[in-house]
Amino acid sequence: MARRSRESQIVFLPIVGLLAWLVPGAGHLLLGKNRHAMVIFVTIVLTFGAGLYIGSIGVIDPVGAKPWYVAQVMNTPAVAALGQVTRQGDYPVYGRPDEIGQIYTSIAGLLNLLCIVNAVYLAHLRVIKDVGD
Amino acid sequence: MGELTALLLANFTTPEDIGVNPQSILWLLPLVAAIAVVYKATKVPKITAGHFIKETVVLFGSIVIFMAVTALILCASAWLITE
Repeated sequence: MARRSRESQIVFLPIVGLLAWLVPGAGHLLLGKNRHAMVIFVTIVLTFGAGLYIGSIGVIDPVGAKPWYVAQVMNTPAVAALGQVTRQGDYPVYGRPDEIGQIYTSIAGLLNLLCIVNAVYLAHLRVIKDVGD
Repeated sequence: MGELTALLLANFTTPEDIGVNPQSILWLLPLVAAIAVVYKATKVPKITAGHFIKETVVLFGSIVIFMAVTALILCASAWLITE
């Protein structure tokens, strides 16, 4: 029983983490925490969208702003695809809109990282509880 | 429909006009609200509207007050050093 649970844990935890990264809040949704998932999804998507609206998609800059880009990719892997579009520098953005856009999109990514870690932790607690039962 | 889509896309390909002025600091407020909401969503075991909003507002206020106090201390320090 313990061995089976350990094997299922090895599969289940990465799936929760991966889903939470693919779509903000999806990890919590998988755990049955629907309200948490909805709040997380709406807030992170709005924050990321606000950042893109303020600074344009040019704030996603995998060449000139790599540390920011790493935080932005934490939102969802789709950001990497957006990074391929902006890689050539066709959407230049400078000054305050650039700063605010980068901060918004990066903070949204870091918040999603927090949610990924939280979802994996909750999944881990659930597995431990199942083993205990 | 096509024009609407083009307008929507154009909004995300050209940056907004935000000047470098003291008012631009207010852009931190929506960000602090987002941080407070997501942080509380990871902390509370069950989300009920009243309790969740109360917790979020308290955290939002704490962050804003802490930042305001820090800004005041930094301003006072700068004033003391330069005067």
